[in-house]
Amino acid sequence: MSAVLQNLIDQPYKHGFVTDIEADVVAKGLDESVIRLISHKKNEPDWLLEFRLAAYRHWLTMQEPTWPNVKYPAVDFQDISYYSAPKPKKKLASMDEVDPELLRTFEKLGVPMHEQAALAGVAVDVIFDSVSVATTYKKKLADVGVIFCSFSEAVHEHPELVRKYLGTVVPTSDNFYAALNSAVFTDGSFCFIPKGVKCPMELSTYFRINTQESGQFERTLIIAEEGASVSYLEGCTAPRFDTNQLHAAVVELVALDNASIKYSTVQNWYAGDENGVGGIYNFVTKRGLCKGVHSKISWTQVETGSAITWKYPSCVLLGDHSVGEFYSVALTNHMQQADTGTKMVHVGKNTRSTIISKGISAGRSNNSYRGLVKIGPKAEGARNFSQCDSMLIGETCGANTFPYIQVQNNTAKVEHEASTSKIGEDQLFYFASRGIDAEEAVSMIINGFVKDVFTQLPMEFAVEAGRLLGLKLEGSVG
Amino acid sequence: MDVTKISREFLDALLSGAAPVPAEGLAALRSHALERANALSVPTTRDEEWRFTDLAPLYRLALKRPLDDVPMPSGEAIAAWIAEEVPTRLVFVDGRFSPALSSALTAGRTPELTVTTLAAAMASADAVVQAHVGKLAGVDDDLFAAVNTAWLRDGVFIRAGRGAAGGTIHCLFLATQADVVQHPRVLVVAEEGAQVALVEDYVSLQEGAYCVNAVVEIAVGANARVRHVKVQRDSAKAFHLATTAVSVQRDGFYGNLAVTFGGRISRNNISIRQDGPGTEFELDGLAFIDGRSVADTHSFVDHAHPHGRSRQLHKCVVAGGAHAVFNGRILVREGAQKTDSTQENRSILLSDKAHVDTKPQLEIFADDVKCAHGATVGQLEAEEVFYLMTRGLSEGTARNLLTYGFAADIVNRIPIASIVKSLAARLLEHTGGQEIA
Repeated sequence: MSAVLQNLIDQPYKHGFVTDIEADVVAKGLDESVIRLISHKKNEPDWLLEFRLAAYRHWLTMQEPTWPNVKYPAVDFQDISYYSAPKPKKKLASMDEVDPELLRTFEKLGVPMHEQAALAGVAVDVIFDSVSVATTYKKKLADVGVIFCSFSEAVHEHPELVRKYLGTVVPTSDNFYAALNSAVFTDGSFCFIPKGVKCPMELSTYFRINTQESGQFERTLIIAEEGASVSYLEGCTAPRFDTNQLHAAVVELVALDNASIKYSTVQNWYAGDENGVGGIYNFVTKRGLCKGVHSKISWTQVETGSAITWKYPSCVLLGDHSVGEFYSVALTNHMQQADTGTKMVHVGKNTRSTIISKGISAGRSNNSYRGLVKIGPKAEGARNFSQCDSMLIGETCGANTFPYIQVQNNTAKVEHEASTSKIGEDQLFYFASRGIDAEEAVSMIINGFVKDVFTQLPMEFAVEAGRLLGLKLEGSVG
Repeated sequence: MDVTKISREFLDALLSGAAPVPAEGLAALRSHALERANALSVPTTRDEEWRFTDLAPLYRLALKRPLDDVPMPSGEAIAAWIAEEVPTRLVFVDGRFSPALSSALTAGRTPELTVTTLAAAMASADAVVQAHVGKLAGVDDDLFAAVNTAWLRDGVFIRAGRGAAGGTIHCLFLATQADVVQHPRVLVVAEEGAQVALVEDYVSLQEGAYCVNAVVEIAVGANARVRHVKVQRDSAKAFHLATTAVSVQRDGFYGNLAVTFGGRISRNNISIRQDGPGTEFELDGLAFIDGRSVADTHSFVDHAHPHGRSRQLHKCVVAGGAHAVFNGRILVREGAQKTDSTQENRSILLSDKAHVDTKPQLEIFADDVKCAHGATVGQLEAEEVFYLMTRGLSEGTARNLLTYGFAADIVNRIPIASIVKSLAARLLEHTGGQEIA
């Protein structure tokens, strides 16, 4: 490793950590009374309380999973406060008050000026003269009948829809963290696209302006009715500050006949320092159900943050001719650990799935792809293609692949391939000879490596996500 | 039914009488193995390593030790299994060595090559045996290896001394009794620069249920080359459990070619460890199964030093209600730079009841390496079938021909013509053909 690169390695995480949360907090610990309290505080109907209690009772019988290829001290579930009312953040009066480091990050990422302000927490009306952009968006959505609101709001405004679909894709008994989430989730997003409607905008656009704090146990439910389509982006390239160490979210997607849902995630949560102190545990259950014929669910994820990521966005391809896709870039640096991948469960006839996973490990991190492709006995003509590539940067990181392939139908065709590569000194030398410095060269090589995935992201995010990878890897290449 | 109780009874029956008499060779090793075997519990599908292979049908069998007073089969009875171009042959009948059926032992014939039984080597307290036996196939966590080691009374011992060109040794393990369990054991030590080839061949002369629990240990020295062919043609009701543990020193070569025709359940654990830089491994496997067979191959390639190369190709042809399992693990440890490792797993499902579980697994902790794996599961290519039909073949013939070609690709790599011929005949039998061209 050359001296210049060694130098780069020693740079600290740039964005610090904010801890100014003051909130209406429930005492630590978890029992039925806490769940009743959460439900009561949120003024929930009885059926939802029952849903939570059933999940909690089941959770008590479950064991924390130990099979992921990650190591962390045991989480004390009684040492967590399960409810804190989100308090509005202190609004800043102008851009001058924003941390210059944060501004520099925005600049590097190329976030537009007015969005920078919104993301940094500058009061919206300071930036925009009269009409809030968010309000405009909301009206546009309502015009075509799209329901897009917080989960709590949906429980009150559209209880029939929530009740019909909640827990149908990820049952409360699905896994340890999903059960926990079902018991104690506080808020999240709800999205309903009625029959035949193409959502007039990428919900990402809306989302960026309206970054909400939805707590550590987030619940998302997206339903696309017959012929509907929607593109949804969760997260943001900007670093997210959060004091909660454990995050256990559940995301459920339902696509009916001919519907399509595209769900993109950019995750850049605090990953801990270079010695692995601090950082967020991100234990997420995401699953989509292609319930109708010709339905399609596409997951795209760019995972760059969190100390530990444990996440398998999945598709259950129930409807005949349905399509599942998974595009992933997972980057780990320093002491980060990621065990991520997907499950494609083919049930219906002529179902197709594609998996493209790109893992990048640097520092002393450990990056695992774990995936399942399961072809059921009735899934005639099912087709899967998987490609899992890993890139290692440095000698002390690890890259693992654990693909499970289970085929029970002889008309199915499943292909899996995986490769491992590194950024070579010779490649860097080639760039250097063309006058491109190491940092930019690495950024270009990485961008080439992840191109197949980034082309799936909504356009403006693809550009930012590319820069984000460059930022995260700053100082780790040799 | 109480599964725990059944499996406990099974294990107790398996171990009863295994305790060594202190004066016997390797008593300490065997006592330790027995102790471990008693401490371990039998694997179930709840264990990750056994997730897809359920041994419950084995646990329900009442297995005995083979009887000693049964007459050995005649030379004619086994003529079909003899590879005439391989003069050195050791034959074991239900685990018992048969001097009459074996070729004359070459022990002591040349200083470079020893081919003998483990019993004879243990009786003379052979230092090489003492130094190697039980060192590669660990008994601490592996129940079946522990059981085998606890029963270690006899087996094959091959030592190719420094620079020896040892030729090929055919080890034929016959099963003639039903409801018995045998524990074959092979130890191969190839010293620096030696070359030797081993054919490990399992054959059944009866159709009943029995269990083979084999352990093969192979120590490949620096610059040595060992080729290992394993042919498993047990009866359809047989259970075959095998542990193959190999270590290869600097610039050594180890090639493994395993062909299995199943049995009720077969499980092959192959682990190959790099003990020095610059080694080369080749693994070829074919599982050709039908009926209710389960064929499970777990391979583990451990790249622990720089400049290691490994290539693996595992094929499965699964017909009837059979079930093939493949778990190919490749580990590249920290510091094992310049490793070049590839793995391919190709499976064909010939019926709608057949199924495959495969898991190619890469674990990489070094950055300057080339590793790739690929897995495909499917049926015969429609285009290929169509092409042959345009040449006037019926669809059935076209499918048979393609299936034969797919499987014969592996079988043809065996360097012994008579074995290739007999295996090809068996493939043809299953693919509707009569003659070998």
